[in-house]
Formats: sequence, structure tokens, C-alpha cells
Amino acid sequence: MSAFRTIRELGADIRAGRLSPVALAESCMERLETVGRALNAVVTVTRARALEQARRAERELAAGYDRGPLHGIPYGVKDLLATGGGIPTTWGAAPFRDRCFDEDATVIRRLEDVGAVLVAKLAMVELAGGMGYRQPSASFTGPGISPWGAEAWSGGSSSGSGSAVGAGLVPFAIGSETWGSILGPATYCSVSGLRPTYGRVSRHGAMALCWTLDKLGPLALTADDCGVVLEAIAGRDPRDPTSADRAYRYDAPDTERHFRFALVRGSVDAAQPAVAGAVADAIDNLRAIGTVEEITLPERPYEAVARVILWAEAASAFEPLIESGAIAGLTAPEDRFTAYARDTILAKDYLRALRLRGVVAREIDGVLSRFDAIVGPSRGTAGPRLGVEFRSAIRGSFPDVLGAIGNAAGLPAIGVPCGFTADGFPVGLQFMGRAWEENVVLAAARAWQARTDWHLRRPPM
Amino acid sequence: MTDEAEILFALVSRRYGARLDSAQLDEVKEVVEAIARDAAALRAAVIVDGDEPAQPFVPFRAEP
Repeated sequence: MSAFRTIRELGADIRAGRLSPVALAESCMERLETVGRALNAVVTVTRARALEQARRAERELAAGYDRGPLHGIPYGVKDLLATGGGIPTTWGAAPFRDRCFDEDATVIRRLEDVGAVLVAKLAMVELAGGMGYRQPSASFTGPGISPWGAEAWSGGSSSGSGSAVGAGLVPFAIGSETWGSILGPATYCSVSGLRPTYGRVSRHGAMALCWTLDKLGPLALTADDCGVVLEAIAGRDPRDPTSADRAYRYDAPDTERHFRFALVRGSVDAAQPAVAGAVADAIDNLRAIGTVEEITLPERPYEAVARVILWAEAASAFEPLIESGAIAGLTAPEDRFTAYARDTILAKDYLRALRLRGVVAREIDGVLSRFDAIVGPSRGTAGPRLGVEFRSAIRGSFPDVLGAIGNAAGLPAIGVPCGFTADGFPVGLQFMGRAWEENVVLAAARAWQARTDWHLRRPPM
Repeated sequence: MTDEAEILFALVSRRYGARLDSAQLDEVKEVVEAIARDAAALRAAVIVDGDEPAQPFVPFRAEP
């Protein structure tokens, strides 16, 4: 009845009286409890709260009070966003499995204000991967499973956000990205995932992994839905001093636009061959909507900049957990001790990374000023299997220059489905734009999805 | 392993060694070496005096 339908489709049915928000929430929760549990995508189904919100939406809409496109629409959040009302917030970590906060994160509050219905806290990699995990079984809820294969990892760290949307359990979910945690699960679960500009969305109430890299953003079936959600959650928040005082309105109407894309030389070839082939085909097809110019970026230690910032800040954010030895209670064996090594990051090297970050941000903005977006693989690997160690730029075992630049410079990017490997694992294409230009990357992704059907394929479940 | 990495690993080993077995210590050593490689890459990059850390600090004053 409601699975795999977009926000706009569901909203039209609700307003036409063909679909009740309560029935919709019930349907989502039933699938979350069955399919969602089987995919290890769910921590908590927030039944009481969901029904209360859905009933309120139903009453308000019946009375002619319309809060906008998310009114009555169910969603889930990565379980690093605080929820009040006795709903646990676990950060995916066994030591926090029963921990509750007093109030909601700003993003959840904003979604409540527009009438959205919170149906689940979704599974995630413990501490959002902040302890350096290297295989999928790194959450107390079990390894996240992609709807595209019983042995395929959903990606991390927004594992449940990716697989819940990809399996049609919720029309959208909120994830977080420090480096790869939205675009990765979006790729492996074949959904659209938007990483907003740093500061676009308040982080208040979200677990801090790395204060200067963490971003919150939506995963949904389409780029258009990502834009709808971003408008609801964006904006200045006095409780997050890094949130920007910039209004955001989603620029939804499609326009016939000729895009200017840049392709970083070598970025496709650096991916696994099965991924590189699909992405190369996708980039060829982009020429139908714009130009694609190959470019060379300045020589900079992009990945080292992002890694040193990430590990140094994570070492501080989780210092009590690490110093006390409480990390021994985490699920992944490697998460129980490798963070001790971060005591060796020197302050001057961290500051040097921050200084280089400013240089990178200026240089890349200069490059992007000539283009609408840089395009490339949203993930260089495909289909990591459960129980097997995966390769990752965060640990330095796989290259991800675009991810390092985009996250270090705080740039928006959207990952969208663009094909499959011969083994049937999803492959993603990313559009990365200038700071605050979410509407440009969303327009490019919409134009891509208007001409392709990868985002309409459904998993063989 | 560079001298610097060796010395830094000794620090980690001294602080946390009692919690770790030899296989874990070996893995920690690998991470220390990776951190040292990143540090070397950062130190090799040219920056100038005016390249300030990209971070927001705003003096605080409580409003009445």
C-alpha cells in the first residue's frame, strides 16, 4: 500500500483522502518490525509517539490545517539523534543501549513542527564508526544488511537509514556523515542520500564524533524528496553555534538546464573495476544534460587532512570512553582498542590539518566556481560482504579523494543510484557542489533521475 | 617505523599496554605508523603564515 512510494506521492494520497496517516504509520511500523529487524536496521520502533503524531496529523489535515509536504509522513532517524519521552538513544553502542535523554534533537523537533511522524530510531555503526571499525559487524544490533543481498553490507555508519529507505520501510530517514556515512549507505542500499553543507543543519542533540566534520542529512527514494526534507531541517539554531544564519528554500521546479560538470582525472579509475565501469557509463550519459570536463586538482594531502581532523576530534569527543577502557564493551573487536593509538596525534599536526583545510576549501571553491558540480563515484567499492573486512579511506586502505575534499571543505553532495555491478550490487554517482549550493546538486540529481530509472529499481526481497 | 613513531608507540604502550595482548599491541602499532605517515604528508605540504586554522571561534558575551 505504501512501500516504495515517495513523499510527494504519499502526500498526494493523504490529501486526497486515499491514505490515512495513522494507517500509513501502522504499515511502516509493521514492516520495520519484520523486514527491518531482519535487516538489522532498527533499534527502536517508536510506536506510541508515532501513533500520537499520526493521529494529530490526521486531525489537523481533516480540519484543513496543512503543515506542508511532510505532514503525516513517517520517517526514521539514525540512533545518534537524541529523543526525549523515554525513547532510548544508543549511538549503536552496547554501553549506551539503555541510555535516555531529556529532550529531542533540533532536527527531530523541526520535523515534528512540520507534522512528520517519527516511527523508528534506526541502527547505526557503533559511535558512527568513531573507533575505526573495519568489518560490518560493529553494532550491538548486528551488521546492517542491504536489501540488495542477504550477505551484502548496508554500509555505514548510517546503516539502518540506508536499508530502511532501500527496503521501502520508511519514505525517508535522517543520517549523519562525517566522512562517507550518508553517501556510503545510500550507495549500498541504492537510494538517494544528501550530505548538506557543513552548518546547514543543526547538530544540536546529535552525538558528536567530530565537531568540525559532522553533518546531518536525509536519505530518500529520490533527490526531490531529499530536497523536501532538507528544507524542513535546515536553518540557524542558537543551540548549535556552527549552524549558519542562511535561509534555505528548496528550489523544486524542474528547469531545462545545461549543467557544467567537472570530473577529477583518475577519480573513476581509482574505484573497483566493477564500480568504475558503471560510473563511467553514467558520466557518459550525463553529457545529455551538460558538459563534462576533466580536471586536475592541486596536489594536496586531502585524505591526511580529513583523517587527522577526524581522529583527533574523535579522540577528544570519546576521551572518557577511551581512557576509562569502557570501549572494551563495544561490539567490533577492533573498536575495543585501536583508538588508543590516537594519543600519538600531535597538536601541531592537528592544527596543520586545520590550516591546510582552509587552503583546500579556498582552492576547491575556485575550481567549483567554473562548474555546477564535480561528479564521480559516490563510493569506490561495491557490495562488501558481511563477515569480511572492507577497505576504507578513513583507515587509509582505499582512496576517496572526493570524500576527503567534500567533507574537509564542508561541501554538499548527493549520491544517487547509477547502476549495478555484474553481481547485482548497487553503484552510486555523486554530484558535489559549492558550499550552500544544495539546490544546484539537487537539480543535477533530479535531471539525472528524470532520464534514468536506477532509482526506481526495487530490491529482490 | 620512524624514530618518532617508535617513541610515540612507546607512549601508547606504556599508557595502555596492560589492557592489550600482543596481537592488539601489534595492531595499535600499525595505526600509530599510519598516523605518522599522515603527519608526514601534512608536514610536507606548503602553507604560509597567513594560513590560519579553519575553525570558528566566537568570543562569548551573555546577553542581558
